[in-house]
Amino acid sequence: MSEQLERVNNGLIPRVIVCLDVANGRVVKGVNFKGLTDMGDPVELALRYQEQGADEIVFLDIKATLENRANALETVRRVAQNLSIPFTVGGGLNSYTDVEQFLNAGADKVALNSAAVKNPQLINQIAEGFGSQCVVVAIDVNKDETDDYAVYVSGGHVRTEVNAFDWFKEVEERGAGEILLTAMHRDGTGIGFDNELMSRVAKERNIQVIASGGASNEQHFVDTFLAGSDAALAAGMFHRGEYSVQDVKKALKQQQILTR
Amino acid sequence: MSSVADLTKRNLTVGVINTKAGNLFSLYACLNRIGYSTVQINNPQDMVTNQIDALVVPGQGRFGQVMKQLVATGLDNIVVDWIKSDKPFLGICVGLQVLFNQSEEDAGVQGLGVFEGNVERLNSPKQPMVGWSKLSSAVGGLSEKIVYFVNSYGVKQSSVTAATVTYGEQFVAAINQGNVWAFQFHPEKSGDVGEEVIKQCLSN
Repeated sequence: MSEQLERVNNGLIPRVIVCLDVANGRVVKGVNFKGLTDMGDPVELALRYQEQGADEIVFLDIKATLENRANALETVRRVAQNLSIPFTVGGGLNSYTDVEQFLNAGADKVALNSAAVKNPQLINQIAEGFGSQCVVVAIDVNKDETDDYAVYVSGGHVRTEVNAFDWFKEVEERGAGEILLTAMHRDGTGIGFDNELMSRVAKERNIQVIASGGASNEQHFVDTFLAGSDAALAAGMFHRGEYSVQDVKKALKQQQILTR
Repeated sequence: MSSVADLTKRNLTVGVINTKAGNLFSLYACLNRIGYSTVQINNPQDMVTNQIDALVVPGQGRFGQVMKQLVATGLDNIVVDWIKSDKPFLGICVGLQVLFNQSEEDAGVQGLGVFEGNVERLNSPKQPMVGWSKLSSAVGGLSEKIVYFVNSYGVKQSSVTAATVTYGEQFVAAINQGNVWAFQFHPEKSGDVGEEVIKQCLSN
Protein backbone atom coordinates (compact mmCIF):
# COMPACT_ATOMS: atom_id res chain seq x y z
CA MET A 1 0.00 0.00 0.00
CA SER A 2 1.33 3.43 -0.89
CA GLU A 3 2.23 5.80 1.90
CA GLN A 4 -0.49 8.23 0.74
CA LEU A 5 -3.14 5.54 0.75
CA GLU A 6 -2.09 4.33 4.17
CA ARG A 7 -2.41 7.86 5.56
CA VAL A 8 -5.90 8.26 4.08
CA ASN A 9 -7.11 4.92 5.42
CA ASN A 10 -5.80 5.53 8.93
CA GLY A 11 -7.93 8.60 9.41
CA LEU A 12 -11.66 9.03 9.23
CA ILE A 13 -13.39 7.86 6.07
CA PRO A 14 -12.92 10.63 3.46
CA ARG A 15 -16.27 12.31 3.07
CA VAL A 16 -18.00 12.92 -0.24
CA ILE A 17 -20.10 16.03 0.32
CA VAL A 18 -22.79 17.36 -1.96
CA CYS A 19 -23.33 21.10 -1.87
CA LEU A 20 -26.70 22.65 -2.52
CA ASP A 21 -26.26 26.32 -3.39
CA VAL A 22 -29.63 27.81 -2.61
CA ALA A 23 -31.07 31.12 -3.78
CA ASN A 24 -34.67 32.09 -3.01
CA GLY A 25 -35.55 28.54 -1.92
CA ARG A 26 -34.20 26.81 -5.08
CA VAL A 27 -30.93 24.98 -5.69
CA VAL A 28 -28.85 26.91 -8.24
CA LYS A 29 -25.46 26.60 -9.90
CA GLY A 30 -23.28 29.35 -11.37
CA VAL A 31 -19.81 29.68 -12.87
CA ASN A 32 -17.37 31.61 -10.68
CA PHE A 33 -20.31 32.57 -8.46
CA LYS A 34 -22.11 34.22 -11.44
CA GLY A 35 -24.82 33.28 -13.97
CA LEU A 36 -27.18 31.18 -11.84
CA THR A 37 -29.15 28.23 -13.28
CA ASP A 38 -32.09 26.53 -11.50
CA MET A 39 -31.26 22.96 -10.38
CA GLY A 40 -34.32 21.96 -8.32
CA ASP A 41 -35.93 21.70 -4.86
CA PRO A 42 -33.48 21.57 -1.90
CA VAL A 43 -35.34 18.90 0.10
CA GLU A 44 -35.84 16.62 -2.89
CA LEU A 45 -32.19 16.95 -3.91
CA ALA A 46 -30.83 16.47 -0.36
CA LEU A 47 -32.78 13.21 -0.06
CA ARG A 48 -31.70 12.02 -3.50
CA TYR A 49 -28.04 12.50 -2.58
CA GLN A 50 -28.49 10.81 0.79
CA GLU A 51 -29.92 7.78 -1.05
CA GLN A 52 -26.94 7.86 -3.42
CA GLY A 53 -24.63 7.56 -0.41
CA ALA A 54 -23.50 11.15 0.22
CA ASP A 55 -21.64 11.41 3.54
CA GLU A 56 -22.87 14.91 4.27
CA ILE A 57 -24.98 17.67 2.77
CA VAL A 58 -23.96 21.31 2.75
CA PHE A 59 -26.64 23.89 2.16
CA LEU A 60 -25.34 27.35 1.24
CA ASP A 61 -27.85 30.16 0.97
CA ILE A 62 -25.90 32.28 -1.48
CA LYS A 63 -28.44 35.08 -1.65
CA ALA A 64 -29.17 35.11 2.06
CA THR A 65 -30.99 38.22 3.19
CA LEU A 66 -32.90 39.06 6.32
CA GLU A 67 -36.18 39.07 4.38
CA ASN A 68 -35.52 35.51 3.26
CA ARG A 69 -34.56 34.30 6.74
CA ALA A 70 -37.93 32.80 7.63
CA ASN A 71 -38.02 30.91 4.33
CA ALA A 72 -34.50 29.63 4.76
CA LEU A 73 -35.24 28.40 8.29
CA GLU A 74 -38.33 26.60 7.03
CA THR A 75 -36.31 24.87 4.29
CA VAL A 76 -33.67 23.85 6.84
CA ARG A 77 -36.39 22.37 9.06
CA ARG A 78 -37.83 20.39 6.14
CA VAL A 79 -34.40 19.05 5.18
CA ALA A 80 -33.48 18.17 8.79
CA GLN A 81 -36.77 16.37 9.36
CA ASN A 82 -36.05 14.00 6.51
CA LEU A 83 -32.28 13.67 6.41
CA SER A 84 -30.43 11.07 8.50
CA ILE A 85 -26.89 12.21 7.67
CA PRO A 86 -24.97 15.30 8.84
CA PHE A 87 -26.16 18.59 7.47
CA THR A 88 -24.28 21.92 7.38
CA VAL A 89 -25.91 25.27 6.72
CA GLY A 90 -24.21 28.50 5.65
CA GLY A 91 -24.88 31.83 4.02
CA GLY A 92 -25.66 35.14 5.67
CA LEU A 93 -24.95 34.03 9.23
CA ASN A 94 -23.74 37.16 10.99
CA SER A 95 -24.28 36.70 14.70
CA TYR A 96 -24.54 34.24 17.56
CA THR A 97 -28.33 34.54 17.36
CA ASP A 98 -28.35 33.72 13.63
CA VAL A 99 -26.33 30.59 14.33
CA GLU A 100 -28.59 29.58 17.21
CA GLN A 101 -31.67 29.93 14.96
CA PHE A 102 -30.25 27.59 12.31
CA LEU A 103 -29.00 25.02 14.83
CA ASN A 104 -32.44 25.03 16.44
CA ALA A 105 -34.01 24.51 13.01
CA GLY A 106 -32.06 21.23 12.79
CA ALA A 107 -28.69 22.05 11.21
CA ASP A 108 -25.82 20.01 12.68
CA LYS A 109 -23.17 22.57 11.79
CA VAL A 110 -23.02 26.12 10.52
CA ALA A 111 -20.60 27.53 7.97
CA LEU A 112 -19.33 31.03 8.72
CA ASN A 113 -17.70 33.01 5.95
CA SER A 114 -17.71 36.83 5.70
CA ALA A 115 -18.94 37.22 9.29
CA ALA A 116 -15.90 35.33 10.62
CA VAL A 117 -13.52 37.63 8.71
CA LYS A 118 -15.34 40.73 9.94
CA ASN A 119 -15.65 39.49 13.52
CA PRO A 120 -13.25 36.59 14.23
CA GLN A 121 -14.37 36.50 17.87
CA LEU A 122 -17.64 34.99 16.61
CA ILE A 123 -15.76 31.71 15.97
CA ASN A 124 -14.72 31.53 19.64
CA GLN A 125 -18.21 32.42 20.85
CA ILE A 126 -19.91 29.72 18.79
CA ALA A 127 -17.28 27.11 19.62
CA GLU A 128 -17.74 27.84 23.33
CA GLY A 129 -21.53 27.99 23.13
CA PHE A 130 -22.24 25.00 20.92
CA GLY A 131 -18.93 23.14 20.58
CA SER A 132 -16.16 23.24 17.94
CA GLN A 133 -17.81 20.37 16.07
CA CYS A 134 -20.56 22.64 14.79
CA VAL A 135 -18.33 25.48 13.55
CA VAL A 136 -17.22 25.18 9.95
CA VAL A 137 -15.34 28.21 8.67
CA ALA A 138 -15.90 28.61 4.94
CA ILE A 139 -12.97 30.35 3.27
CA ASP A 140 -13.05 31.52 -0.36
CA VAL A 141 -9.58 32.06 -1.76
CA ASN A 142 -8.40 33.22 -5.15
CA LYS A 143 -4.92 32.87 -6.57
CA ASP A 144 -3.64 36.31 -7.54
CA GLU A 145 -1.01 37.48 -10.06
CA THR A 146 1.83 36.80 -7.63
CA ASP A 147 0.56 33.24 -7.01
CA ASP A 148 -0.47 34.17 -3.47
CA TYR A 149 -3.84 33.21 -2.09
CA ALA A 150 -6.15 36.09 -1.16
CA VAL A 151 -9.24 35.65 1.00
CA TYR A 152 -12.49 36.90 -0.54
CA VAL A 153 -15.77 37.67 1.22
CA SER A 154 -19.37 38.57 0.32
CA GLY A 155 -19.93 35.57 -1.93
CA GLY A 156 -16.57 36.00 -3.65
CA HIS A 157 -17.20 39.62 -4.62
CA VAL A 158 -14.86 41.44 -2.26
CA ARG A 159 -11.13 40.87 -1.92
CA THR A 160 -9.71 41.33 1.58
CA GLU A 161 -6.18 42.00 2.77
CA VAL A 162 -6.27 38.83 4.88
CA ASN A 163 -3.48 36.36 4.12
CA ALA A 164 -5.04 32.95 3.52
CA PHE A 165 -2.47 30.92 5.48
CA ASP A 166 -2.59 33.27 8.46
CA TRP A 167 -6.35 32.96 8.39
CA PHE A 168 -6.29 29.11 8.34
CA LYS A 169 -4.08 29.19 11.44
CA GLU A 170 -6.25 31.76 13.18
CA VAL A 171 -9.57 29.94 12.65
CA GLU A 172 -8.03 26.73 13.96
CA GLU A 173 -6.74 28.51 17.09
CA ARG A 174 -10.11 30.16 17.64
CA GLY A 175 -11.79 26.77 17.83
CA ALA A 176 -13.23 26.03 14.40
CA GLY A 177 -13.95 22.35 13.82
CA GLU A 178 -13.39 22.29 10.05
CA ILE A 179 -12.34 24.53 7.16
CA LEU A 180 -14.43 24.50 4.00
CA LEU A 181 -11.84 25.74 1.54
CA THR A 182 -13.09 26.96 -1.83
CA ALA A 183 -10.55 27.72 -4.52
CA MET A 184 -12.47 30.36 -6.48
CA HIS A 185 -10.00 30.14 -9.36
CA ARG A 186 -11.15 26.51 -9.81
CA ASP A 187 -14.87 26.99 -9.14
CA GLY A 188 -16.93 26.05 -12.19
CA THR A 189 -13.83 25.23 -14.27
CA GLY A 190 -14.09 21.45 -13.91
CA ILE A 191 -10.32 20.99 -13.90
CA GLY A 192 -10.21 19.51 -10.40
CA PHE A 193 -9.55 20.71 -6.86
CA ASP A 194 -6.51 22.89 -6.08
CA ASN A 195 -4.61 19.99 -4.50
CA GLU A 196 -1.42 21.93 -4.07
CA LEU A 197 -3.33 24.22 -1.73
CA MET A 198 -5.25 21.41 0.02
CA SER A 199 -2.11 19.40 0.58
CA ARG A 200 -0.30 22.39 2.08
CA VAL A 201 -3.15 23.10 4.52
CA ALA A 202 -3.39 19.42 5.46
CA LYS A 203 0.33 19.37 6.28
CA GLU A 204 0.52 22.68 8.13
CA ARG A 205 -2.72 22.60 10.06
CA ASN A 206 -4.36 20.30 12.57
CA ILE A 207 -7.92 20.85 11.45
CA GLN A 208 -10.03 18.96 8.92
CA VAL A 209 -10.14 20.46 5.45
CA ILE A 210 -13.04 20.14 3.02
CA ALA A 211 -11.82 20.72 -0.53
CA SER A 212 -14.14 22.74 -2.74
CA GLY A 213 -14.09 24.26 -6.22
CA GLY A 214 -13.27 22.64 -9.54
CA ALA A 215 -14.49 19.02 -9.37
CA SER A 216 -16.12 17.61 -12.50
CA ASN A 217 -15.44 13.88 -12.25
CA GLU A 218 -14.82 11.00 -9.85
CA GLN A 219 -11.03 11.05 -10.31
CA HIS A 220 -10.90 14.56 -8.84
CA PHE A 221 -12.15 13.11 -5.53
CA VAL A 222 -9.56 10.33 -5.59
CA ASP A 223 -6.81 12.89 -6.27
CA THR A 224 -7.76 15.30 -3.52
CA PHE A 225 -8.09 12.57 -0.86
CA LEU A 226 -4.65 11.25 -1.77
CA ALA A 227 -3.37 14.86 -1.54
CA GLY A 228 -4.61 15.09 2.07
CA SER A 229 -8.14 16.55 1.99
CA ASP A 230 -10.37 15.09 4.71
CA ALA A 231 -13.51 15.68 2.68
CA ALA A 232 -14.39 17.03 -0.74
CA LEU A 233 -17.41 18.91 -1.93
CA ALA A 234 -19.03 19.32 -5.33
CA ALA A 235 -22.31 20.60 -6.69
CA GLY A 236 -22.71 20.91 -10.45
CA MET A 237 -21.35 17.53 -11.50
CA PHE A 238 -23.98 15.88 -9.31
CA HIS A 239 -26.87 18.27 -10.05
CA ARG A 240 -26.34 18.00 -13.82
CA GLY A 241 -26.58 14.22 -13.47
CA GLU A 242 -23.15 13.63 -15.01
CA TYR A 243 -22.06 11.58 -12.00
CA SER A 244 -23.86 10.11 -9.02
CA VAL A 245 -22.32 9.86 -5.56
CA GLN A 246 -22.18 6.07 -6.17
CA ASP A 247 -19.92 6.65 -9.18
CA VAL A 248 -17.50 8.58 -6.99
CA LYS A 249 -17.61 5.93 -4.24
CA LYS A 250 -16.97 3.22 -6.80
CA ALA A 251 -13.88 5.01 -8.08
CA LEU A 252 -12.62 5.48 -4.50
CA LYS A 253 -13.10 1.76 -3.79
CA GLN A 254 -11.22 0.84 -6.94
CA GLN A 255 -8.30 2.90 -5.65
CA GLN A 256 -8.60 1.10 -2.27
CA ILE A 257 -9.67 4.27 -0.48
CA LEU A 258 -12.08 3.46 2.39
CA THR A 259 -15.68 4.43 1.75
CA ARG A 260 -18.96 4.02 3.51
CA MET B 1 -43.09 -4.41 32.81
CA SER B 2 -44.39 -5.13 29.30
CA SER B 3 -43.33 -8.32 27.61
CA VAL B 4 -41.80 -8.37 24.14
CA ALA B 5 -45.10 -9.66 22.75
CA ASP B 6 -46.95 -6.63 24.17
CA LEU B 7 -44.49 -4.23 22.62
CA THR B 8 -44.90 -5.59 19.12
CA LYS B 9 -48.65 -5.07 19.34
CA ARG B 10 -48.36 -1.31 19.58
CA ASN B 11 -45.99 1.46 18.81
CA LEU B 12 -42.93 1.69 21.04
CA THR B 13 -42.98 4.85 23.15
CA VAL B 14 -39.51 6.25 23.69
CA GLY B 15 -38.84 8.70 26.50
CA VAL B 16 -36.12 11.19 25.66
CA ILE B 17 -34.50 12.78 28.70
CA ASN B 18 -34.40 16.57 28.34
CA THR B 19 -30.84 17.44 29.32
CA LYS B 20 -31.33 21.07 28.18
CA ALA B 21 -27.94 20.85 26.49
CA GLY B 22 -28.67 21.37 22.83
CA ASN B 23 -30.89 20.66 19.93
CA LEU B 24 -32.64 17.30 19.79
CA PHE B 25 -34.39 17.86 16.48
CA SER B 26 -32.39 15.15 14.67
CA LEU B 27 -32.92 12.59 17.40
CA TYR B 28 -36.70 13.08 17.52
CA ALA B 29 -36.90 13.08 13.70
CA CYS B 30 -34.90 9.83 13.59
CA LEU B 31 -36.99 8.05 16.26
CA ASN B 32 -40.18 9.15 14.51
CA ARG B 33 -38.91 7.94 11.11
CA ILE B 34 -38.29 4.53 12.67
CA GLY B 35 -41.94 4.58 13.76
CA TYR B 36 -41.56 5.20 17.51
CA SER B 37 -43.68 7.63 19.47
CA THR B 38 -41.56 10.05 21.48
CA VAL B 39 -42.13 11.76 24.81
CA GLN B 40 -39.88 14.41 26.29
CA ILE B 41 -38.98 13.61 29.88
CA ASN B 42 -38.40 16.79 31.92
CA ASN B 43 -38.84 15.40 35.42
CA PRO B 44 -39.61 12.15 37.28
CA GLN B 45 -43.37 12.87 37.10
CA ASP B 46 -43.24 12.59 33.27
CA MET B 47 -42.16 8.96 33.73
CA VAL B 48 -45.31 8.25 35.73
CA THR B 49 -47.84 10.05 33.52
CA ASN B 50 -46.53 8.42 30.32
CA GLN B 51 -46.16 4.76 29.54
CA ILE B 52 -42.51 4.62 28.51
CA ASP B 53 -41.10 1.48 26.85
CA ALA B 54 -37.56 2.68 26.26
CA LEU B 55 -35.46 5.52 27.61
CA VAL B 56 -32.84 7.59 25.76
CA VAL B 57 -30.21 9.94 27.16
CA PRO B 58 -29.30 12.08 24.13
CA GLY B 59 -25.88 13.10 22.92
CA GLN B 60 -25.76 16.87 23.10
CA GLY B 61 -23.74 19.00 25.48
CA ARG B 62 -20.93 18.69 28.00
CA PHE B 63 -20.53 16.06 30.71
CA GLY B 64 -20.86 18.60 33.57
CA GLN B 65 -23.85 20.36 32.06
CA VAL B 66 -25.77 17.12 31.47
CA MET B 67 -25.00 15.72 34.95
CA LYS B 68 -26.04 19.01 36.57
CA GLN B 69 -29.41 18.88 34.80
CA LEU B 70 -29.97 15.19 35.68
CA VAL B 71 -29.24 15.84 39.36
CA ALA B 72 -31.28 19.06 39.51
CA THR B 73 -34.38 17.33 38.12
CA GLY B 74 -33.95 14.10 40.06
CA LEU B 75 -33.75 12.21 36.77
CA ASP B 76 -30.32 10.84 37.75
CA ASN B 77 -31.94 8.24 40.03
CA ILE B 78 -34.64 7.47 37.45
CA VAL B 79 -31.99 6.65 34.84
CA VAL B 80 -29.93 4.52 37.22
CA ASP B 81 -33.00 2.54 38.40
CA TRP B 82 -34.18 2.07 34.80
CA ILE B 83 -30.81 0.64 33.80
CA LYS B 84 -30.60 -1.56 36.91
CA SER B 85 -34.00 -3.07 36.07
CA ASP B 86 -32.60 -3.92 32.61
CA LYS B 87 -35.27 -2.03 30.67
CA PRO B 88 -34.51 -0.95 27.06
CA PHE B 89 -32.08 1.96 27.30
CA LEU B 90 -29.98 3.91 24.85
CA GLY B 91 -27.29 6.46 25.72
CA ILE B 92 -25.76 8.53 22.92
CA CYS B 93 -22.33 10.22 23.04
CA VAL B 94 -22.36 12.23 26.31
CA GLY B 95 -25.31 9.95 27.17
CA LEU B 96 -22.79 7.09 27.19
CA GLN B 97 -20.18 9.09 29.08
CA VAL B 98 -22.43 10.01 32.05
CA LEU B 99 -22.93 6.29 32.78
CA PHE B 100 -19.29 6.19 33.98
CA ASN B 101 -17.65 7.66 37.10
CA GLN B 102 -16.21 10.97 35.94
CA SER B 103 -14.81 12.91 32.98
CA GLU B 104 -11.72 14.98 32.21
CA GLU B 105 -14.07 17.37 30.41
CA ASP B 106 -15.46 18.56 33.76
CA ALA B 107 -13.20 17.32 36.54
CA GLY B 108 -14.84 17.00 39.94
CA VAL B 109 -18.33 16.29 38.59
CA GLN B 110 -19.64 12.84 39.54
CA GLY B 111 -21.15 10.73 36.76
CA LEU B 112 -23.95 8.22 37.29
CA GLY B 113 -21.35 5.52 37.98
CA VAL B 114 -23.44 2.68 36.53
CA PHE B 115 -20.30 1.30 34.89
CA GLU B 116 -16.71 1.37 36.10
CA GLY B 117 -14.35 3.70 34.25
CA ASN B 118 -13.60 7.31 33.42
CA VAL B 119 -13.98 9.54 30.40
CA GLU B 120 -10.68 10.87 29.06
CA ARG B 121 -9.54 13.34 26.41
CA LEU B 122 -8.85 11.44 23.20
CA ASN B 123 -5.59 11.67 21.38
CA SER B 124 -7.13 12.29 17.95
CA PRO B 125 -4.97 13.27 14.95
CA LYS B 126 -7.35 16.18 14.31
CA GLN B 127 -9.54 17.73 17.00
CA PRO B 128 -12.44 17.36 17.35
CA MET B 129 -13.10 13.94 15.78
CA VAL B 130 -15.92 14.65 13.31
CA GLY B 131 -16.73 12.02 10.71
CA TRP B 132 -17.48 8.46 9.72
CA SER B 133 -15.49 5.50 11.00
CA LYS B 134 -15.77 1.71 10.97
CA LEU B 135 -16.45 -0.18 14.21
CA SER B 136 -14.14 -3.01 15.24
CA SER B 137 -14.43 -5.95 17.65
CA ALA B 138 -18.16 -5.34 17.47
CA VAL B 139 -20.87 -7.66 18.75
CA GLY B 140 -23.81 -8.88 16.63
CA GLY B 141 -25.64 -6.17 14.72
CA LEU B 142 -22.83 -3.62 15.18
CA SER B 143 -20.30 -5.71 13.32
CA GLU B 144 -18.54 -3.93 10.40
CA LYS B 145 -20.86 -0.93 10.68
CA ILE B 146 -19.66 2.51 9.56
CA VAL B 147 -21.11 5.23 11.77
CA TYR B 148 -20.77 8.97 12.46
CA PHE B 149 -18.68 10.22 15.38
CA VAL B 150 -18.48 13.70 16.91
CA ASN B 151 -16.27 13.83 20.00
CA SER B 152 -13.13 14.98 21.79
CA TYR B 153 -13.60 12.75 24.85
CA GLY B 154 -14.27 9.06 25.27
CA VAL B 155 -13.92 5.96 27.45
CA LYS B 156 -10.76 4.03 26.64
CA GLN B 157 -11.64 0.74 28.34
CA SER B 158 -14.72 -0.89 29.77
CA SER B 159 -15.79 -4.36 30.86
CA VAL B 160 -19.08 -3.91 28.94
CA THR B 161 -17.55 -2.89 25.59
CA ALA B 162 -19.65 -3.95 22.58
CA ALA B 163 -17.54 -2.25 19.89
CA THR B 164 -14.38 -0.19 19.63
CA VAL B 165 -13.11 2.35 17.12
CA THR B 166 -9.65 3.70 16.34
CA TYR B 167 -8.84 7.29 15.48
CA GLY B 168 -5.32 8.00 16.67
CA GLU B 169 -5.98 5.57 19.51
CA GLN B 170 -8.55 2.89 20.27
CA PHE B 171 -11.54 3.71 22.46
CA VAL B 172 -15.01 2.40 23.30
CA ALA B 173 -17.59 2.95 20.54
CA ALA B 174 -20.44 1.00 22.14
CA ILE B 175 -21.29 -0.68 25.42
CA ASN B 176 -23.95 -3.26 26.14
CA GLN B 177 -25.35 -5.15 29.10
CA GLY B 178 -28.68 -6.91 28.65
CA ASN B 179 -31.18 -4.39 27.27
CA VAL B 180 -28.90 -1.47 28.02
CA TRP B 181 -26.94 0.03 25.13
CA ALA B 182 -24.86 3.16 24.77
CA PHE B 183 -22.97 4.51 21.78
CA GLN B 184 -20.14 7.00 21.53
CA PHE B 185 -21.23 7.60 17.93
CA HIS B 186 -24.42 9.32 16.77
CA PRO B 187 -26.82 6.72 15.34
CA GLU B 188 -29.35 9.49 14.54
CA LYS B 189 -26.77 10.93 12.09
CA SER B 190 -25.53 7.62 10.71
CA GLY B 191 -27.98 7.14 7.84
CA ASP B 192 -29.90 3.88 7.37
CA VAL B 193 -27.26 2.01 9.38
CA GLY B 194 -27.93 4.19 12.42
CA GLU B 195 -31.69 3.68 12.23
CA GLU B 196 -31.20 -0.08 11.91
CA VAL B 197 -28.92 -0.13 14.96
CA ILE B 198 -31.40 1.84 17.10
CA LYS B 199 -34.23 -0.49 16.07
CA GLN B 200 -32.19 -3.58 16.98
CA CYS B 201 -31.23 -2.21 20.38
CA LEU B 202 -34.55 -0.75 21.54
CA SER B 203 -36.92 -3.36 20.15
CA ASN B 204 -35.31 -6.22 22.10
